[in-house]
Amino acid sequence: MATAPRRAPRLSYRAQKRLKRAALYLTALVVSVFVTVPVYLMVVIAIQSPAATFSGGRVNLVPAEVTLRNFRVLLETTSTVRYFANSLVVTASSTVLSTAIAVAAGYGLTRFEFRGKRLAARAVLFSYMFSPIVLAIPLYVIFFALGLLNSYFALTLALTAISAPFTIWLMWQYFQTVPIALEESAWVRGAGRWRTLRDVVLPVARPGYISAAIFAFAVAWNDFTMARVVMSRDEMYTITVGASLFLDRVTIGWGETMAVSLLIAVPPFLIALFLQQYLLQGFSVGGLE
Amino acid sequence: MSTSIHLEDLRKEFRTLGSTHVAVDGLTLDIPDGSFTTFVGPSGCGKTTTLRMLAGLETPTSGRILFGDRDVTDLPPQRRNAAMVFQSIALYPHMTVRENIGYGLKIRGVSKGERDARIEEAAETLQITEQLEKMPAELSGGQQQRVALGGAFVQDPDVLLLDEPMSDLDAKLKSELRVEIQRLHQELETTVVYVTHDQTEAMTMSDQVVLLREGELAQADPPRRLFDRPRSEYVARFIGTPSTNVLPCRVDRDGSTAALVGHGFRVPLPADALPAAVGDEVRIGIRPQFLSPDAGEHRFELTVEVVEPIGIESVVHGRTDDGTRVDVVAAGLDSLRPGDRIVVGFDREHAFVFGAGGESVLFGEELVDGRGRSIR
Repeated sequence: MATAPRRAPRLSYRAQKRLKRAALYLTALVVSVFVTVPVYLMVVIAIQSPAATFSGGRVNLVPAEVTLRNFRVLLETTSTVRYFANSLVVTASSTVLSTAIAVAAGYGLTRFEFRGKRLAARAVLFSYMFSPIVLAIPLYVIFFALGLLNSYFALTLALTAISAPFTIWLMWQYFQTVPIALEESAWVRGAGRWRTLRDVVLPVARPGYISAAIFAFAVAWNDFTMARVVMSRDEMYTITVGASLFLDRVTIGWGETMAVSLLIAVPPFLIALFLQQYLLQGFSVGGLE
Repeated sequence: MSTSIHLEDLRKEFRTLGSTHVAVDGLTLDIPDGSFTTFVGPSGCGKTTTLRMLAGLETPTSGRILFGDRDVTDLPPQRRNAAMVFQSIALYPHMTVRENIGYGLKIRGVSKGERDARIEEAAETLQITEQLEKMPAELSGGQQQRVALGGAFVQDPDVLLLDEPMSDLDAKLKSELRVEIQRLHQELETTVVYVTHDQTEAMTMSDQVVLLREGELAQADPPRRLFDRPRSEYVARFIGTPSTNVLPCRVDRDGSTAALVGHGFRVPLPADALPAAVGDEVRIGIRPQFLSPDAGEHRFELTVEVVEPIGIESVVHGRTDDGTRVDVVAAGLDSLRPGDRIVVGFDREHAFVFGAGGESVLFGEELVDGRGRSIR
């Protein structure tokens, strides 16, 4: 009797597992190369003098010296400090405003029934689909009419308009995971609505609103469009717009360019470093793991 | 200070997109001061809604709620001096056990020293002293439930409301906590209202059991009376495990003797005992514990379908020849196999008679007291 045709030999379970692991490491390696190489280039060029970087007719990527020369040039010949300060001001205020709106809206959307609630929630998500430039022109017209151009206030509002739809959505999702029984338990024990909000709701929602704040921060800090449209006076430019302008100058070379890039990268890096655990918690609830 | 509770024609409707759902319908009830009253019933019967109205978390559509002679119908939850333990336990995850238990006292402005004293006293009673500085997430389910009870305990509430507090615990923990809750009730001298879908909890802990059916009161009585004198077929079937067997019968008259004739048995009726006419369909209810193999005044045959040994006794699930499901609980039945035929019988003093609408029309004693003569 002929035996049934043998199937092609299959990999053992162990071999499959090893293969999977190897593939995982390979992917991780490729991704980290793509992420780290540009950052490395930025840092190296920023801390070398242009002469050292380009000595011998090629680009030296292993630093032979460390100097702050590029940063000094930035400080002496450009308004980097002013731009940076502008960025910090509008980013901080927009982050606070966007997060506050998100917490209030998210709480309201999950805890109160009102007419048009569904519509409101959908409209919020829909408005997130617009690219900033679509909002920029109408906002320019509005701010112009109100005489608000070239003000921190206007830029704060504009940046919040970009980030708020997403932060609201995030907090709306987050509050759905906070059991209402926690609040009810506080009410029965005698706590009023505000007291409950302070003692129970906000502490429990902390990972959520920290995620929202990080997002709002990233939107505001990296913004170019809104600042370009709302601000037209040099002393009001944010670092992104300001840098893009002075990079065109003949006196500003690669070294200075990378130095300002490095400065721009510092705040997001610090935020990510200190708040990463909250970021992951908040996003995992929002289904964005 | 505990208080009595009075519900007057309480009604709660929920409106969702044009449709109205009546969760509680015309509930009138007295809960005595210091009593342990349990609301029981299948899910959706309105028991939790009633409890939430007592707490002030839902507003009644109509009717009144009184704590003693104080009308609390429109009072917010903060001003009722009630304590509530939730089904989901609802401990604050960002507070330690100590802070969780003491939160109610903190809101009332009790000083830190007195707060700690009362927290520690409660913790001792509930055997969670070791856990006071831990976070809720570090505790087991049973310990978490004790913490929730502790929070209610320290407040010295007028009314203690418990919403299925043990539904997520395993059987052993449940039986431990049952004792704990009863001890708490005695120590606190408070009025306890307890909601559960578990009739064992209801029967073992309560002074009064309130059985609800689709938002309406089915019966409110002490456990024993609920068991012995169910007002309806629904009550008889809900209370007791396994459920009361219900056998269809017809009222028949043979000369001067009226009788209930079922499939294979005939139960004589005392003269004029039943306000029903000859030919009316009624039902006899008999608890599985009162059916015994080859004994009893009235006997019928069963085909065995499933046998569940539970120690000394066994539960036999079977069917009569007309397809009625019948359960029997008795000793010495564990050798039966599916398909076996057995004869079981009952004494009519243990039977209930239900009318066509499901209401109880006669209880066993009334069948015996009469002048009926067994024909069998």
